[in-house]
Amino acid sequence: MSEVATVATGWGVTFVIVTTYALWVVGRGKAIGRELGIGEQEELDLGSDSSTSANS
Amino acid sequence: MSPARGNKYMTASPATRVLGVVAVAAALLMALLGLIVSPADVVQGQAVRMLYLHVPSIWIAYGAFVLTAVSSALFLIRSRRREDSGRHHDRLAGAAAEVGVVFAGITLVTGMLWGRVTWGTYWQWDARLTTTVLLFVTYLGYLALRRLPADPMIRGRRSAVMALISIINVPIVHFSVDWWRTLHQKASLSVGRRPEITGEMYWTLLYSTLAVTIVASWLIVHRYRVIRLEELRDEEALNALIASRLREDE
Amino acid sequence: MDLSPRHDIGEPGELRRKVHRGRRWAVLGITAVLIGAGAFVTAQGLRNATLFFRNVDEAVEQRVELGDRRFRLQGRVIPSSVRSESGVTTFQIVHDCAVASVRHVADPPELFSAPWIPVVLEGGWMFGQVRTFAGTDTHYFLSDRMLVKHTNEYASVNEQRVSEKAPDGFLDDCPFEVPAAKS
Repeated sequence: MSEVATVATGWGVTFVIVTTYALWVVGRGKAIGRELGIGEQEELDLGSDSSTSANS
Repeated sequence: MSPARGNKYMTASPATRVLGVVAVAAALLMALLGLIVSPADVVQGQAVRMLYLHVPSIWIAYGAFVLTAVSSALFLIRSRRREDSGRHHDRLAGAAAEVGVVFAGITLVTGMLWGRVTWGTYWQWDARLTTTVLLFVTYLGYLALRRLPADPMIRGRRSAVMALISIINVPIVHFSVDWWRTLHQKASLSVGRRPEITGEMYWTLLYSTLAVTIVASWLIVHRYRVIRLEELRDEEALNALIASRLREDE
Repeated sequence: MDLSPRHDIGEPGELRRKVHRGRRWAVLGITAVLIGAGAFVTAQGLRNATLFFRNVDEAVEQRVELGDRRFRLQGRVIPSSVRSESGVTTFQIVHDCAVASVRHVADPPELFSAPWIPVVLEGGWMFGQVRTFAGTDTHYFLSDRMLVKHTNEYASVNEQRVSEKAPDGFLDDCPFEVPAAKS
């Protein structure tokens, strides 16, 4: 594989991995939220316990 | 509980939306600098452009694993007094570890491709490569352990102990190139040592590290929120199950 | 789904364990595979990591005990010594003022052409009189695999030209001279 092809493959694979993972995370959040029947988690703050923010 | 409404991006908040836009812009600028603006290397030619992916990826993986270890220690300390505070640290540990594994995987893939054009081989079992793949496998094991069904606090304690053991491998990976003879080159940048990288290449590497850090931060925040949603779902399912059993009993 | 016995209802942890029993076995299986992978990696690492290669000076010193054993040899390629003929590349490598003559019988990687590049060669000592820049030698190194060990130094192609000169201080204490490569 030439230098340019290697660089293109490396950058391409990296962007695909990161984008796929990001979409999976967002999609999973969306799917579980739908299962739970809750709206946008504007109030989900990093410090509080899950049991206190189950509403929407 | 009200039906679903407007749940387009369940884990987003105004702050993370801004962070997301900044992350995409930072990644695009990183690609522009790394692929077009920065020059080719005098020896490696175009292959040097792998540096801007490979090095920031492993730094982010190290950082994420350190965050996992620190959060795990805090979980062990704080969960004795307050369960909610402990679970927050447990979630952060899990989210950081998963993102760390993604970037450790990217490090391995980009390293193999880079090795093919520079060393002439995809893989060699030298100390750096061996310890890096061991780091990757160890944290995959950590993620598997987190998925074992158990009481959240018990699972959190098990995972925290494993995170504190696994972190030992991070300095071993980093210093392996100094402690043993390796095919892998020594660290590209070290604190207190003159950088071996000139001008635009040096600044592109530093900028790439910043860009990857922003992307990883966005991922960790969202993954954290997904873990919380998973916990909510598990609790809902359990409550529904208990309620149905109680109804049967009546 | 089996939810019996009913008195377990009051213990959510226990109930959760029962519900997820199938999943637990799957995760345990994956964990076992990961532990196996970790053990394999550790074994590979222990075998290779401690002495991945010998530098030229050490390999010359240990020549008798190495015999015809296969090992990895590391040194910098002397640019003016490189010759290539019918698929065989001959050159000399140097480390700590010890020089070895090399006969390489496979295609070298692309970066081999960079002057004074460090390489790791796989092969063994062969008996045969050879001349090197350091004098005559009774053995040469027959190699069939070459890995280029590039350094952590990066310089823009716009600012610096490929130098034919030895790296600073590399040959300072050596009792021999190395002629410049013909360009």
